[in-house]
Amino acid sequence: MESMTMVVRTEDLRKEYGDIVAVRGLCLDIPSGCIYGLIGPNGSGKTTAIKVLMGLVRATSGTAEVLGRKVPVKGKDARVSYMPQELALYTDLTVHENVQLFAELNGLEPSSFEGREKEVLEVVGLWERRDDLVGQLSGGMQHRASLACAMINRPELMFLDEPTVGVDPELRAGFWEHFHSLKAQGMTVVLTTHYMDEASRCDLVGMMHRGRLIAEGTPDQLLKDSGSGNLEDAFLVFIRRCQE
Amino acid sequence: MNLRRTVAISRKVLRSLRHDRRTVAFLVLMPIFMIAIFGYTFGGEVKDVEVYVVDLDEGVGPVDLSDLIVTHLRDDSSLRVVQVIRTSDGYADPLAYGREKVSEGKAWGCIAFPANFTSDMVSFSPGNSSQADAATVTLYLDGSNFNIVQTVIAAVRSSISQVLAQDLDVIQPVNVEQDMVYGEGRGFLDTFAPGVISLAVMMVTFMISIISFIHERTTGTLARLLSTPVTEGEVVGGYALAFGLIGLVQSGVVLATALLLFDVQVEGSLALVLLTVFLLGVGMQGLGFLLSANARTEFQAVQFIPIILFPSILLSGVFWPLESVPEVLRPISYLLPLTYAVDGARSVMVRGWGLQEIWPDLAVLLLFAVAMLALSVVLMRRR
Repeated sequence: MESMTMVVRTEDLRKEYGDIVAVRGLCLDIPSGCIYGLIGPNGSGKTTAIKVLMGLVRATSGTAEVLGRKVPVKGKDARVSYMPQELALYTDLTVHENVQLFAELNGLEPSSFEGREKEVLEVVGLWERRDDLVGQLSGGMQHRASLACAMINRPELMFLDEPTVGVDPELRAGFWEHFHSLKAQGMTVVLTTHYMDEASRCDLVGMMHRGRLIAEGTPDQLLKDSGSGNLEDAFLVFIRRCQE
Repeated sequence: MNLRRTVAISRKVLRSLRHDRRTVAFLVLMPIFMIAIFGYTFGGEVKDVEVYVVDLDEGVGPVDLSDLIVTHLRDDSSLRVVQVIRTSDGYADPLAYGREKVSEGKAWGCIAFPANFTSDMVSFSPGNSSQADAATVTLYLDGSNFNIVQTVIAAVRSSISQVLAQDLDVIQPVNVEQDMVYGEGRGFLDTFAPGVISLAVMMVTFMISIISFIHERTTGTLARLLSTPVTEGEVVGGYALAFGLIGLVQSGVVLATALLLFDVQVEGSLALVLLTVFLLGVGMQGLGFLLSANARTEFQAVQFIPIILFPSILLSGVFWPLESVPEVLRPISYLLPLTYAVDGARSVMVRGWGLQEIWPDLAVLLLFAVAMLALSVVLMRRR
């Protein structure tokens, strides 16, 4: 891994909210061009870690670098995009209007917008529905619209916070197919999930528990290290180990 | 209808209040706040309307009736006599001086007694003289505020009748002539229109802003916007521009309605009225943002609306002049941006004033808008 370019690096990252420590001593090295899954139950610190990396919350201590720039960066980078866990779209605007807003904020040239919009909306299957209000779409469609907004500016690195939560199995499969096609285009995808079965679809997995990274490696490595048959059992093994 | 289920619903509502102390405080304190403001404002009479007196009365021998009237005017709490100008004070043209004070906005009125005031009163004989022979007082008035005009006229008439009835014990007419320095032929609506236009814009920009920002925060769209290269300043500036434009369109509509349906007139520049209202709209948008940042839920956010709106309606001079606001509440009047917008818009619409006269109002509104927007940016960065 050392020879690869790291798109995300954190050193002893810590975030406290009053008495609650959301992230403690997180050290991450995420290489470029992979799908990295931050796995863990709700409340394990995944979302906070992503928010710190996006510069949306300030770390209490430790350092973080994203695409070689120290976080929080002054002046956000259009090469990085973020899809939050909640919908976070304007439900009173159409799909097209939402996508256009994020294209403009990310500095996409108007000349290249139209072609890009079609490309992205076809990938998420919303090209025919682009003039519908987001608020009138089904939950799954809203999710896809949100993904489209995160992809519109051809980012090098995407942070997707629980992109598949509340998405039906068929659509989930479609999403994963799409994440792999993004990777094939050279993009790095960092996503969080609490579905252990999804971890096996990642190139690299970091397991988080109570704000700590308790294990990290490829899915195969993690199964081997834990001597388990599936990642869910592996997770429990690692928890037990760090409690011992 | 099942009583148990109904009670379960009631209990749920009351229980959720238990987790929101601010709302409980609001439910208790808001009515107290409202009754206090209403009580003080409606109880307040117009006080200390600033006037000049030009007393050219030469009297008849030792008798000088204008002096007696001036004594009563000074005792009248609705007026504050700034200065009494007499022939002996050496002004080249005392009348012009007094009238100028009104046209400069230094006073609401100038009460002028002519040289022959006492002599006309003394020579008046009820049987033989006509109304035209009666003594005359001339009032030079700033008619931009209808309430104030009524107050000055009433105070002068009352002082004259006190002199006649108590001091002299005679019954005879005295002519009170009105010469409007501003607002000739204007009435209630002309006084209210500038205030109502400003109030309408303030209400809409403030309410939409407070609601839309809390919405941006609770739905996560604000965080998402800020994850792109957009800066906090650009978000706040973009909102300010949009709300300023909404305010402009709105004030244009209200203004057009007032002009066409109610025959309200605009003496000065329409553009200046719109600029005043635009600055108010931008500032109120900023205030809305600041307050919504201090609310966790939409429910908490809307509680700020009456807290700002009620004092603004009652204490900014929209319907009642500032002179009727009780002394204790006057500082609040001067803290409310609407006060300056109403004063500015009214001065332009009724007095026909321009930038050189209303710039202090605009400066306050500009300062308010800049401060609110700057604070909004700072607050957004400190997340």
